[in-house]
Amino acid sequence: MPENTPNPESPAPVEPEEIRVGVYTCHCGGNISHVVQCERVAKMVGKLANVAVSRTDPSFCSDAGQAIIEQDIKELGINRVVIGACAPSLHEQTFRGAVTRAGLNPYLYHHVGLREQDSWVHASDEEGATEKAMRLMAAGVAKARLLDPLDPIRLGAEKQALVIGGGVAGLRAALDIARQGIRVTLVEKSPFLGGRMAQLESIFPTDEKPRQLLHDLIQAVTAQVGITIFTQAEVTGVSGYVGNFSIQVTQHARGVSPEMAEALTAACTQETPDPFNYSLTRRKVIYQPYPGCYPAAPAVDWQHYDGQPIQVNGKSIVLQDDALVHELIAGAIVLATGFDPYEPRQGEYGYGELSQVITLPQLIRHMALVKNGETLTWNGHPVRSAAIIHCVGSRELDGVHEPQADGQVNNYCSRVCCTASLHTALEMRQRFPRLNIYELYQDIRAYGRGHEEIYRHTQNAAVRFVRYHGDDGPKVIAAPKGDPYPVLVQVKDYLTYGEEIEIPVDLVVLAVGMMPRQVDDLVNMLKISRGADRFLLEAHPKLRPVEMAVRGIILAGTAQGPMNIQESLAAASAAAAKAASLLSLGKVELPPFVARVDPAKCNGNGACVTACLEEGAIALQTFVENGVEVQRAVVTPANCTGCGACVGACPNRAIDVQAWTLAQYDAMVDAIAMDWPELVEVEK
Amino acid sequence: MSLDNLHVDALVVGGGIAGMQSALDLGDQGFQVALVECEPSIGGKMITLSKVFPTLDCCSCITTPKMSAVAHHPNIKLFTYCDVQSVQEADGGYRVNLVQKPRYVDASKCTGCRECEYACPITVPSPFDRGLGAYRTIRVPFSTAVPQVAVLDMDYCILCGKCEKVCAAKAVDFNQQPEPFEIQASTLVVASGFELTPLGAKKEYGGGKLRNVIDPLMMERFLAPTGPYGRVLRPGDGKEPTSIAYVQCAGSRDTTLGIEYCSRVCCMYAIKQAMLISGALPLAEITIYYMDIRTFGKGYEQFYQNAQAMGVEFIRGKVASIREDDDQNPVVKVELTEEGRTIERTHDLVVLSLGMVPVPGSNTALNLPLGSDKFIAIPAPNASPCATAHPGIFVTGAAMGPMDIVDSIVTASSAAAAASAYIREHKKEAVYA
Repeated sequence: MPENTPNPESPAPVEPEEIRVGVYTCHCGGNISHVVQCERVAKMVGKLANVAVSRTDPSFCSDAGQAIIEQDIKELGINRVVIGACAPSLHEQTFRGAVTRAGLNPYLYHHVGLREQDSWVHASDEEGATEKAMRLMAAGVAKARLLDPLDPIRLGAEKQALVIGGGVAGLRAALDIARQGIRVTLVEKSPFLGGRMAQLESIFPTDEKPRQLLHDLIQAVTAQVGITIFTQAEVTGVSGYVGNFSIQVTQHARGVSPEMAEALTAACTQETPDPFNYSLTRRKVIYQPYPGCYPAAPAVDWQHYDGQPIQVNGKSIVLQDDALVHELIAGAIVLATGFDPYEPRQGEYGYGELSQVITLPQLIRHMALVKNGETLTWNGHPVRSAAIIHCVGSRELDGVHEPQADGQVNNYCSRVCCTASLHTALEMRQRFPRLNIYELYQDIRAYGRGHEEIYRHTQNAAVRFVRYHGDDGPKVIAAPKGDPYPVLVQVKDYLTYGEEIEIPVDLVVLAVGMMPRQVDDLVNMLKISRGADRFLLEAHPKLRPVEMAVRGIILAGTAQGPMNIQESLAAASAAAAKAASLLSLGKVELPPFVARVDPAKCNGNGACVTACLEEGAIALQTFVENGVEVQRAVVTPANCTGCGACVGACPNRAIDVQAWTLAQYDAMVDAIAMDWPELVEVEK
Repeated sequence: MSLDNLHVDALVVGGGIAGMQSALDLGDQGFQVALVECEPSIGGKMITLSKVFPTLDCCSCITTPKMSAVAHHPNIKLFTYCDVQSVQEADGGYRVNLVQKPRYVDASKCTGCRECEYACPITVPSPFDRGLGAYRTIRVPFSTAVPQVAVLDMDYCILCGKCEKVCAAKAVDFNQQPEPFEIQASTLVVASGFELTPLGAKKEYGGGKLRNVIDPLMMERFLAPTGPYGRVLRPGDGKEPTSIAYVQCAGSRDTTLGIEYCSRVCCMYAIKQAMLISGALPLAEITIYYMDIRTFGKGYEQFYQNAQAMGVEFIRGKVASIREDDDQNPVVKVELTEEGRTIERTHDLVVLSLGMVPVPGSNTALNLPLGSDKFIAIPAPNASPCATAHPGIFVTGAAMGPMDIVDSIVTASSAAAAASAYIREHKKEAVYA
């Protein structure tokens, strides 16, 4: 018999308890009380049937405020609690904790959002807002009378985590989770670990070598017990829920066996622009991005390999991508999918039109490729003068900057580009002393520890600063024939009081911002949210800064927003702490707000199954009733998200979402729609 | 939890937002945590703020539940009004000597009823309100304090005994003495926070002398619903200001003060306060004098753009000096760096956007190596961003340099992850079955 067998016999009648509702109208530190007359609301609600006590407080969420509620439950026999306060997303859990501590079932409490639904949106209408508060609170009481005690759904949690992304944040998160005794699978899309950090040459403010730091971190990760690494792998399927996600990972073949690697690499002639050097160079389609990479063995770039045979020792070998599919279980998923540098559009500051216009990441790779010498060259010409333009693809303004393909502009600050530009300028100054360097900026945002020193050193290193306004940015044009320099940068400089200046340069460097790595598939599979800036969105910047709204999905690093390496590491460790908190006990609790079928009303028509948006949440099963086989809908609570699609589809009103039943909605609507004279009567 | 022998996995120094978050993350993972706070209540600087950027959530709405969660956590033991005297390495961990400062109130008996406070005849300036408001010599520190236990300030007490008479719990004890005690911990998390650059640090700005030149935490108290006046007015004469100016970098990025670093939060708090003042005083004109606007965090640039759209005036210029006219109005002399001229402008109220400095004396007992900025040094910021030079001692929040609340919370969880890994590896537990 299935677990959710409907019980055809009605449960034994229970002595109905006297409903005693405690109602608490919170001032929310003025957020509500500056608009809503809370005392009037409390007085009116206090007169409703079953209400045993009605109070106000500056902040019920404080320890002292919670103590009042707990005391009422214990001393006044309150058995239903209604709190009118901020949005439930903020403090429903807080109050559920208080109610539980007082010995009451935590689901005998209803939260009314008086702040978001009332005082904040009706700030200019005190009387109207107060009346609305009365109606909302009356509806809350009406619902509370019908609340039943519920138990959370308790599930075993797999002490395993999945980390998506093998850059510095993913590596750190994997290491720190595994150090807590939780097994980790690390999935990296490319054939090599290290991510964007490997493409840097020096990290501010310590001037450390990024590939050395990565090497140390990867060593720690590979030496750590409990970490499995899949490279060239992508998550191609996810189902389940916190504590128990089922994950499908598709892993491409490395393509070359260790014993054949050297010969095949040597024999391979097909080349493609090298993304490690931002297409400044070309590499073979069998490749290692850099010496010392991990894993060390070369891999095939399947995206670019043309399928033609490679001739080795007289044999003709066609490389085969025999992809593997792995099935995994994880209790939590850490997203460390990282960023991509903003790709300027064709013609933006001359990019793509003038060969002398490159991006800062390209310059960093170019300088790494240039052998030490006195002169920096570009396209074979010596660079005598270079201009770095800040805020390209960052701090863009609607109506000023051309929107991207999705109609949006990047109006956020990418936070790392200022110090990265200054740091690069300093390196240029050291290596190429005769070079003229210009920094064209809006505001220098050298905010971090040690960053301001870099700014000061740059100022003292004969780097010239030009300050432009965001709505009147620099223009990059080809110089007229015969000019000594190939490119002119025209800009209004506010350090010289708005003077129009023209800077002749050999090279223009665009300090491009950060864009989130495109993860549409993951967003759809995991049903997670992105912010207006398109980065993955945390549940709350202060209460749950590295967790997503979907439980068990955790953020690490630049998938969430621009960060430097130090910040990515801190965020990754924070993500590890959250994963450990979630999984270390080996069990998770899910809220009981799931569908429940009343078998007495269900006639097995299956409309709910058709309407259901989740896999395996509701299904028809065969039961024998009075000797006749019948079909009845049965819910699998762990798969149900409580969306209510089945409730709406059922023609028999046979399904309810627990704690949000149709009867409770009816009661709330009746209370909200109470006639005004009736409300006034109650208020008197 | 058994704390009879005061043996814990982690001891967290500081009960502000960073320390609370570290303690919660460690406690949630099942570690035994002692949280030590030198003030009578946890909550730190954050609990005194009005609203927090960029969401403009009311600050108590974020802080008080965390305070409550700490207080009720089965794995966290709170030690408020305690000072760390010394720290020694011992038995593979740390032996921390502390002293419980006398509250002159028996914390185990006090119910927080505040009868003592109502009976007390002596009123003193309240540091919680930055001296703008007053409280009694014996009082519960503030309305949302955790724990809700009264504390008596013996410096001001006249020993009239009125509090003792009204205390039904018989909790008042004038003979309380400092009580030393010891905690053994496998690891320490330092979350000792920050102080503002002193108001008078830059003489040219007249802070501390000119009555209508205030610090930003004073403005937070004006704007907070729990504030001393419930409204914004200038302290000099109680007048409602109609012209308010912010002087940015008034204690940061200034080599003459020996504070060369950027304090990271001042741009955002000035913009936030400007927005809140616009709400409280719709007719007020608000000017922000700045060098660079550094709104670098997630959602911060949009916040800056919103403030501009709301009519907050941003003037790029370095304030040279502030004097007072005959009506106590601060007169700001500023070099307009985009125009190359110097002007004087009169405002009703000036807020000096002071920076962050380490809490004086906060490192005396710990004696950790410091950076050139005097904050606790992080030897390998790009490998272990929360590890100090001492193995097993981690640091979080503004003790490791200026940072805002969001960053403090993230580094707090990060420090907790580092500390918990250290504890497990230290215990040499077989973590894999």
